Amino acid sequence: MADHAHDAHDAHGISHVAPVKVLLGTWITLMFLTLITVGATKIDLGANYNLALAMAIAVVKATAVILFFMHLRYDKLFHSVLVMGGLLAAALFVGFALMDSNQYQSTIIWDPAAPPAPPIGPPLVP
Amino acid sequence: MSQPSHDHHDDHDDHGHHGSRFIQHHYDDAQHQFDAGKLGIWFFLVQEILFFSALFVAYILYRHHHPEIYAYAHHYLDVKWGAINTAVLIVSSLSAAWAVRCAQLAQRTGLIACLAITIVCACGFLGIKAVEYSHKIHEHILFGRYFDPCVASAGNHLLNKGNNCPGVKTSIVWDATAKKAAAGCLEGDYDLEPEAKGVQGECEVFEVRKQTVPTVGPDGKRTGFEQKELGRQALAPCPEAPAHGAAPKHDGKPCWELAMHPRICPKGPAAMVLYHDHKVRSSVPAKSAGSGIAIEFTCKAAPPPAAAPADPFAEGPSLQVGAGTFRLQKPMSKHDQALEFASGPPPEHTNMFFSIYFAMTGLHGIHVLVGVFVFIWLLVRAIRGDFTPDYFGPIDYAALYWHLVDLIWIFLFPLLYLIH
Repeated sequence: MADHAHDAHDAHGISHVAPVKVLLGTWITLMFLTLITVGATKIDLGANYNLALAMAIAVVKATAVILFFMHLRYDKLFHSVLVMGGLLAAALFVGFALMDSNQYQSTIIWDPAAPPAPPIGPPLVP
Repeated sequence: MSQPSHDHHDDHDDHGHHGSRFIQHHYDDAQHQFDAGKLGIWFFLVQEILFFSALFVAYILYRHHHPEIYAYAHHYLDVKWGAINTAVLIVSSLSAAWAVRCAQLAQRTGLIACLAITIVCACGFLGIKAVEYSHKIHEHILFGRYFDPCVASAGNHLLNKGNNCPGVKTSIVWDATAKKAAAGCLEGDYDLEPEAKGVQGECEVFEVRKQTVPTVGPDGKRTGFEQKELGRQALAPCPEAPAHGAAPKHDGKPCWELAMHPRICPKGPAAMVLYHDHKVRSSVPAKSAGSGIAIEFTCKAAPPPAAAPADPFAEGPSLQVGAGTFRLQKPMSKHDQALEFASGPPPEHTNMFFSIYFAMTGLHGIHVLVGVFVFIWLLVRAIRGDFTPDYFGPIDYAALYWHLVDLIWIFLFPLLYLIH
């Protein structure tokens, strides 16, 4: 098999080879950000800001993984288009699913003996 | 995976492919095959993102409507294990990315090492997950109706059901085979109405410091161990707990109160000693030299209430005096302390958090498990020497899949473990 490898010398440029520096740099960044995100929970910024900070760090980490570990930075543009399209579709899906999530709060039957009035139509008879 | 006919084989030879024998005849060259595979794996990863996003919808929706459940329930998760698993996955992602590099540069030894590291890390991740899952199964911190952790029926305190529940607070000896409390439950009939606290005044509860010392026979040889009492301290009854859900006021001293839990003490209440300083207290070890704390009590029964027929504990007229020895079952871990800080009854529908937790981490865990098998297959092929600089597609595709698994965990870790 070893000689096969040498035969195939002309096929060297088949894909970008990630430099060691990039691999290690990405790894150190990810480890560092993991420490930061764990440490950040000890600081009280208020529940929403803590969540926003944790998510911001997670997005930075995810971007580092996609760009360098997954080679997207050096890859064909079409693969980036695919990923962005996928993320856009996921965002649309999540967004539309959450869009009307408050809509039905008033119709939840907490007490079967006293059901809330439906928004449309005659009131329910218990 | 169509079977090439004989004609095609001839074609293949006519084309004059050189390089890896894994370059299929229906591709122009190695580059063509690699690009086709890469496009395929990217399509797969994009649908994986959509696949997982459904679970994120469930998470976001439930968190939006019930933030209190998330704030409470994450105390059941150990940040330490989550953080270690994050690091383990990041290391495995590095080794997977490096494996691709090694394959591209025909570094066979490096490739084998990188694949092996990835497999070891993946197994480590699953091992830690198994530790976490078994802990939750053990303590009934599960999904749906299987969410049944140890919470006193009175609401405010976790109970120690033998080794089944965390907490230093209580001291009931649990007989696991008989599935009932072996000691500590008062035989007899007590009024368990919250207002009838009079029964507490009838009890005397002691914290007994004991040391296990070896006994020596007349010939100077060890014959066994006995427990030597070093001192005892009477404990005061706890002040009345305030309204449902609020933490009871305390002055920092240990106190005791009755625990009422039909599952733990089917026949009557048990004394429960509450410590508020969150220190770890070791139990009295049975067979080793060391000191510990045992709780002993004797109670005189209060007069039975005039009429309380609906109360399962208040049936029958007879009165007995109960007595027993309570003992701490195990020292309290940091995790248990975190649980204790979050004491108070779980908010309604806390089980939904664990339904979401198990669905998300379970699906992610299945992906890790699949990754293990894929990387074992790649390791075998790498040892066989299948991969060459013009044929390393499978390594690249598996690494891309593995990075996505890492990516999902990068979001799961803060969302599940790091709730403020």
